[in-house]
Amino acid sequence: MKSLICLLFLALLSSPLLAQDIFSSKNTHFSFFSSSPLEDIEAKTEKGVSAINIKTKAIYFKVPIASFQFRQKLMQEHFNQNYLESDKYPYAEFKGKVLDDADLSKDGTYQVTVEGILNLHGVDKTYKEKGTITVKGGNITAGATFNIRIADHRIDIPTIVVKNIAEVVAVTVNALYTVVNR
Amino acid sequence: MKIIVSLMLLAGISFYAQAQDDLSKLFDSTGVRHPKVLYTYKGTRIIMGHSTETLRKHELDFRVDHRFGDMAGEFGGVKTFYGMDNSTDIRIGLEYGITDRLMVGLGRSKGSGAQRQLVDVLAKYRLLEQTQDDHMPVSVSLLGTTVISCMTSEADPHQAAYFKDAADRMSYVAQAIVSRKFGILSLTLSPTFVHRNRVGYMDMNNLFAMGVGGRLKLSKRVGLIAEYYYPFRSNDSKDYYKKSTSLYNPLAVGVEIETGGHVFHINFTNATAIQETQFIPETTSSWLQGQYRWGFNISRRFTLFGKKDWKK
Repeated sequence: MKSLICLLFLALLSSPLLAQDIFSSKNTHFSFFSSSPLEDIEAKTEKGVSAINIKTKAIYFKVPIASFQFRQKLMQEHFNQNYLESDKYPYAEFKGKVLDDADLSKDGTYQVTVEGILNLHGVDKTYKEKGTITVKGGNITAGATFNIRIADHRIDIPTIVVKNIAEVVAVTVNALYTVVNR
Repeated sequence: MKIIVSLMLLAGISFYAQAQDDLSKLFDSTGVRHPKVLYTYKGTRIIMGHSTETLRKHELDFRVDHRFGDMAGEFGGVKTFYGMDNSTDIRIGLEYGITDRLMVGLGRSKGSGAQRQLVDVLAKYRLLEQTQDDHMPVSVSLLGTTVISCMTSEADPHQAAYFKDAADRMSYVAQAIVSRKFGILSLTLSPTFVHRNRVGYMDMNNLFAMGVGGRLKLSKRVGLIAEYYYPFRSNDSKDYYKKSTSLYNPLAVGVEIETGGHVFHINFTNATAIQETQFIPETTSSWLQGQYRWGFNISRRFTLFGKKDWKK
């Protein structure tokens, strides 16, 4: 019985410690841009989520594909139904790690390299991309822009519209994290 | 006791270990609460009647619906090139999404019932949307249409197209459209009320009908579509029409093809008319007598406005 009490005490003690390590972002902004000779395609969403553990440097992103908003709703329809197949693959997910040894518990702006696996359209691919993490007064912001080759994720573009859609899409992500309270 | 404690301890450790490395666990309970089922149909129509889909805000749909003449039977065959030399009805329409849920439309059709030269005004409101977790099991849209005949009045006061005053030219449709998407299959029930101010002898001014329709997706861009309407006629009216002109229930089957910006329907139907006020109560041609025709619906959607707002 004593040890049970000890355990409960330990659990209580350890959770606030843990909470200070993990930061989360409930409305992470994602946008992408594809430029081609015929048309520019642009979409954005605020419905992404993200978390970062400043001690282990693990970083995580997840975004519902169907939440991307296009100006042209017909494009949005094609994006969901024909290209990204959001019925079958509802989320894009990234699990990675910050490679640098910056101390993210201290205020400052850090240029970092993140490596991890992006699952998009059901296809896993390892990415190693540069980003910026800013720590200021208990809040963390992170931002990055990187390129995705749509062919790498088995996204088929039919030949009749191949001129309208670029082979490489620039993805931008911005997240504002707050500490996870448990 | 010791075993329980050590088990709990182990569980505790493994939970923390997981929480530290796999941050995805943080979001298990969050995310979109009741994600909507999207794109039950590709367009605002199934074939003859409406689907639950509406245009989204700032979308303009230019539509051309066309029905040819009889493919076989007395008026078909090679002498009319299987109906292609004739057209029973053509509608050209512009429809627009005012909000993501409300669309309006204006159309001009030839008409293929007693009254011709029709102008229609319609409004469709998306009331409910099916969700993936069955929090809302179906999608429901409401449709209201007013049709005005612009033809010259017949001289004979017994005709359905004899207009004493402007009100005689008007017909109305009120419809609830209920859809559910099961993966590649979408099914629809459409309870419909048709009111025509002016009808022929023994015809009904007020008529209830039930529409059933569906789509089976064959690939990302191609689907099979079918639609049928059953009008509930009074026995008196039925008996009268048995003696004179025969009435049939409209049945349509077709293929839906999406080609980038267009949605294209190729369909076969016994209905000659395009307007609900006509194909539901006034279909006088029969599949069994070769009086079916091929037709097409073309929908081209454009996005207006919002370019500047979007850039911000």
